[in-house]
Amino acid sequence: MFEIGRVCVKLAGRDSNKKCIIVDLIDDKIVLIDGQTRRRKCNVKHLEPTAEVVKIKKNASASDVIKVFKDIGIEVKPTKPKTSTTRPKKQKVKREKTEAQDKTKKSEAKAVKKEKVESTKQTSKASLSSAREQQTSKASLSSAREQPKVAKTPAEKAPVKKDAVKPAPAKTEK
Amino acid sequence: MRSRTLRRVKVKTPGGETKVHFRLRKPAHAKCAVCKNPLKGTPRARPVDLQNMPKTQKRPERPFGGVLCSSCSRKKIKNSV
Repeated sequence: MFEIGRVCVKLAGRDSNKKCIIVDLIDDKIVLIDGQTRRRKCNVKHLEPTAEVVKIKKNASASDVIKVFKDIGIEVKPTKPKTSTTRPKKQKVKREKTEAQDKTKKSEAKAVKKEKVESTKQTSKASLSSAREQQTSKASLSSAREQPKVAKTPAEKAPVKKDAVKPAPAKTEK
Repeated sequence: MRSRTLRRVKVKTPGGETKVHFRLRKPAHAKCAVCKNPLKGTPRARPVDLQNMPKTQKRPERPFGGVLCSSCSRKKIKNSV
């Protein structure tokens, strides 16, 4: 049953349900396998033999095993031995800012905020409708990006969406 | 409080008194889909704790890990060959 060249399926471990070939008999219980699994010793109890037997030399190399698997019809990727490496440390990119630049940016931000607050206080309805227009235009633009095949302008899409979502304000705007 | 949905824990305060605190219970162990035995390698934790765990800490690194026990998965592979 368990002879050199017998195609088996591994039952246990993280490479279970993968096909392998018996390359060498170490013991009456332990066997050397290679193939889709890693090249290692394996207990005979953890292997399920199939009906196929393949011609292969004793202690065949990994490249020979890959050739043999090609004849059967299974692709096996060659693996390099892994070496442990240290994790690369994340380096923060420091932007050199001058103090004057910081101050101007902060003052600009404050001015923009003030404008926004004033505009909302003056006209509530107009601002709300404008905000909704912006939202629908943004949504239509994003959906246009997702579906480039659909050749619709965002202007065409906006009124359609307004009707679907909020009928009441659409009437007043029109 | 008579409800048993929370478990009672005796806590010793800095003042030296023992007081009762109420803690949430852990969920039951995950079971094998075929033989209904409790699965190994799976933690008993609330969903919030499971979310912050890495994936490898929640199930064994094996086909059908976290779904079938080892013996049931071996039987399934044997029958498929």
